[in-house]
Amino acid sequence: MKPILRLDKVCKRFGGVVAADDVTFSVLPGEVHGLIGPNGAGKSTLMNLISGIYTPDSGKIFLDEQDISDVPSHMRARMGIGRTFQTPRFLQRSSIEDNLLLGTDLANQFGYLKSYFGKKGSDFEKELKELMKFVDFTFDWEDDISALAYGQRKQLEIVRSMLSHPKVMLVDEPAAGLNNKEIDDVMALLNYAAKERGIGILLIEHSMDMIMNICEDIVVLSFGKVIGTGCPAEVSSNEAVIEAYLGRDVNA
Amino acid sequence: MEKRMKIKPSTLLIFLAAAIFVIVIPNTNEGYSMMIVNLGLIYAIATYGVSVMLGMGGQLSFATVSFMGVGAYITANLCSGRNGINMNTALALVIALLASALLAFGAGLILFRLKGTYFTFATIGLVQVSWSFYLSYKPLFGGPDGISNISTLNLFGFSPKNYNDWFYILAAFVLVIAFLVERVRRSQLGRSLAAIRDNEIAAQTLGINVYMTKVVAFTIAGVLAAVAGSLYAMHSQFVSSDMFTYERATTYIIMAMLGGVNNTAGIFVGSVLVTMLPEWLRFMQQYLQLIYGIGVILLMVFMPMGLAGLASGFAKSLKRKLYSKKKVTAGKEGPKQ
Repeated sequence: MKPILRLDKVCKRFGGVVAADDVTFSVLPGEVHGLIGPNGAGKSTLMNLISGIYTPDSGKIFLDEQDISDVPSHMRARMGIGRTFQTPRFLQRSSIEDNLLLGTDLANQFGYLKSYFGKKGSDFEKELKELMKFVDFTFDWEDDISALAYGQRKQLEIVRSMLSHPKVMLVDEPAAGLNNKEIDDVMALLNYAAKERGIGILLIEHSMDMIMNICEDIVVLSFGKVIGTGCPAEVSSNEAVIEAYLGRDVNA
Repeated sequence: MEKRMKIKPSTLLIFLAAAIFVIVIPNTNEGYSMMIVNLGLIYAIATYGVSVMLGMGGQLSFATVSFMGVGAYITANLCSGRNGINMNTALALVIALLASALLAFGAGLILFRLKGTYFTFATIGLVQVSWSFYLSYKPLFGGPDGISNISTLNLFGFSPKNYNDWFYILAAFVLVIAFLVERVRRSQLGRSLAAIRDNEIAAQTLGINVYMTKVVAFTIAGVLAAVAGSLYAMHSQFVSSDMFTYERATTYIIMAMLGGVNNTAGIFVGSVLVTMLPEWLRFMQQYLQLIYGIGVILLMVFMPMGLAGLASGFAKSLKRKLYSKKKVTAGKEGPKQ
């Protein structure tokens, strides 16, 4: 199977700090690919490079075998790179409906004029209903987004990204701040996105439970370098990975 | 998660208030006081541009007066016979609209190379530049004397004979523009602007072209200002540069802030109130600027979302009170804990 997202020797430095050093890996469609590493390893930088907020110093990024290294951020989103943030980013003073419609807007892509004159694109309500099966809460359309709890907002951000029909979804720490029930819901939602919708998911997460549970493949970063790849079992027995996480034994 | 009901009571209330306004005002006013109300309506059109830029997109621009000037002077040149041209006024309005759209689009492309506060400062520069032209360049703008003898509007044979006639025409313009602006808010453009206002990086990752979306908003604001300017020229039949100073530019921002910068009905109320205020406070004219200044400070401290924010906050707390009352009764009837 051809990878949906491929990074080829991507480098990025900020002054003297090397945030991404020769990073090479690929994500297959329908796969949940874990991206782990200690704090400051460059995981979020990598997401920003993929979604186009930063441009790489060298190396290339491919979406569906098309080089997108020089494509601006909003065009990458339109080409199918969806993402969520560590802290969910919603319109604070807008209704939940408007916030979710931003996802549908991205899927539709027919521009402001046609939307202004009432053209409706993909079926927002039907799709939303489908996705809301996976989350365990209800809400009022008209309410401000602030009516929702933090964990609910985090789940809704994944829902919004899925409404935009991405090919690749970059999910940044979805489990942080969620309770166990919510984490289960998120895992079910991500599994559905990958298995039923064929979306390639790149998942940053500190909860090893979650990573080991739903990732087929994992890439481990430390100081911007890939120090290990493979399935969960391989990674958790990888010497370099254990060292990066736990430190070297003095007597070794 | 059920879909919303058809018409909200607040919408109904707004239409009722608008209907009363349109019926009562022209029947109780005439002459000078009617003219002031009309000016309020004209300013409201320009202030809707501020609402699109500042309310929806979070971009503070003072350029309203620059484009109002574009509309006013194009109309003045085409409809006063000063260059031997005496065009149909409705046609002149359309020309003013198209020309301002082009100019605003071009200016937007340049100005939005800058972001945030830098953009705002650049618009202040634009206001100073356009005002100097309006004040000093005689061939196009008439210099300090301005341009007079502008024909009054003629819409398909109907021409207003007095300020009361004008009121109905302007009210129709405001209604249509308010509707169009409200539609912007509820379409993809409005949501994109809201996303830009809240977080530009998140907006990008939602596929929004931040730069072009801002330029589109700036163009809409420019066109609305130019329509207001064009109508102003025909209504007053005279245009001069002191309508387009920086000081005037701040007034439109205050109108929007007083009414509620992101609220269609609020914009209208704010514009009319700020226009009427100097008339009501005529007896203490020498303190007017002082009162005005203090008013703006108090406004920002106590109701940053303007009168509309105040109203919606009141409605929300009312709703909560009714709702919590229900909850209490339910608790009493239910089993004790």
